[in-house]
Amino acid sequence: MIGTAKKPEAEILEAVGKYQKIIVAGCNGCAKACKTGGDAQVAEMADHLRKHGKEVVLEVTPERTCYINHTMAGLEGKDEELKASDAILVLGCGGAVQVMRQATEEKGLTIPIKIGLDSVGHMDTVVAGALAIEQCQECGECVLNETGGICPVTKCAKSLMNGPCGGAENGKCEVDRDRDCAWILIYDRLKALGELDSLSAYHEPKDYEKSNKPRSLRLS
Amino acid sequence: MKITDLFSQGAYVLTSEVGPVKGCVRDLGDGATPQCLQEAELLRNHVHAINVTDNQSAVMRLGSLAASVKLKERGIEPIYQITCRDRNRIALQSELLNACSLGIDNVLVLTGDHTTLGDHRSAKPVFDLDSVQLLKIADGMKKGHDLVGHDLSQATDFALGAVVNPNFEPLDLQIIKMQKKIDAGAQFFQTQTVYDPALFEKFIRKTEGFGVPIQLGVVLVKSERMARFMNENVAGITVPDGWVKRLQGAPKGGAKELCVEMTAELLGKLAPMCQGVHFMPLGWSDIVPGIIAASLNGNARRA
Repeated sequence: MIGTAKKPEAEILEAVGKYQKIIVAGCNGCAKACKTGGDAQVAEMADHLRKHGKEVVLEVTPERTCYINHTMAGLEGKDEELKASDAILVLGCGGAVQVMRQATEEKGLTIPIKIGLDSVGHMDTVVAGALAIEQCQECGECVLNETGGICPVTKCAKSLMNGPCGGAENGKCEVDRDRDCAWILIYDRLKALGELDSLSAYHEPKDYEKSNKPRSLRLS
Repeated sequence: MKITDLFSQGAYVLTSEVGPVKGCVRDLGDGATPQCLQEAELLRNHVHAINVTDNQSAVMRLGSLAASVKLKERGIEPIYQITCRDRNRIALQSELLNACSLGIDNVLVLTGDHTTLGDHRSAKPVFDLDSVQLLKIADGMKKGHDLVGHDLSQATDFALGAVVNPNFEPLDLQIIKMQKKIDAGAQFFQTQTVYDPALFEKFIRKTEGFGVPIQLGVVLVKSERMARFMNENVAGITVPDGWVKRLQGAPKGGAKELCVEMTAELLGKLAPMCQGVHFMPLGWSDIVPGIIAASLNGNARRA
């Protein structure tokens, strides 16, 4: 999922400061899982805005706001509210905001779209309901086959491809003493698999042409 | 002068290290010598060469190339350190061409401390390449081509060095990387500081067949506080208990003398196991000649 964290309330209020009639839009995909933009957080935000003197004209939570058809479905039959609104506050990732903008534009509307969250990465939920961590950077040339299923590009703070730096202490990373050194994890895993040989293979510099932005994906 | 030539002549190679200043070193005609150059002057004729660190600990300073060139102009041999933290592959290769063009003969390639450990914590960490990749590319440039295989009008000509941490656990993982560095083109190694003779011996036994010279790295321990800090914060390094106690009892103003004594004792045990010593004095360059005289019998001058 795309990890999101709530922006400070003061920043949100400043972003919608000059608008009176607000639509609060969440996302029942990733933001719901992050407890930042599901139905409950949308209702909470609407209450918060009302307390600060705003009029909330619509609360809506599309199934996945980054998917244009779901967002359009969420706005179906809501043209009146859309036309009445001064701004839409999206509790979703940066993609959700941009798809919401696209949806309003496709409806021929020019409405400011504001974001109430910060997107903080591609996250995997490793403790249900409690902890999500970043384990993949979508680099476009996956090396997990050679590294025991542990990604050095993401889990090593320096994205080293040919083994650890000298900075680990007691198995922990020099950048964060609470986090395991990715290369020690890789070493232990490959040792358990009887595949330590693969550590000796030289890894060429990564091809960043494959991750030059913005990327796109043909789905048909 | 390439320090690899010294190793091949059988010299016991002594090097030390200076960190460039946070500021410029332009000669303003006032007769003032910047601190890093003053430190280097204290080591003239006592060591073969002096490492110049590259924005060490991710703290922004004068670049290692400019400081290295300043040393070279003064007739002091620099070992130019280059890290992967701040530059992409275009800038790193260009920097190697710059270094060779400006007369640098020795390059030490490192990954570099992470940006979050320094004084510009919000900086974007680059790490486009790792140290093994940069060594391989630097080796290719000595053979006349860049990373993508394009010819250089003039090849570089360096002694290429690398680092290794004998304190690392698991040691075998660090040694696998050391082997990769050798395969990539590393011609000599400087180690992280080591204070444990048994640990260093184990490391040397595992690597002596590699056929590359190794210099023992030694950080000078200046106080009890520093010893405790290193024990608590620096990867895998244990300053011996005895040292902490001796530093505790050091008379006021007597720490330098004690540091010379303890370091000399340490070198008496460790130095014979390898091909040279690399001092990391962290500002105490003035006592390095005394340590050398007390423990290495002026080996540096034997070259």
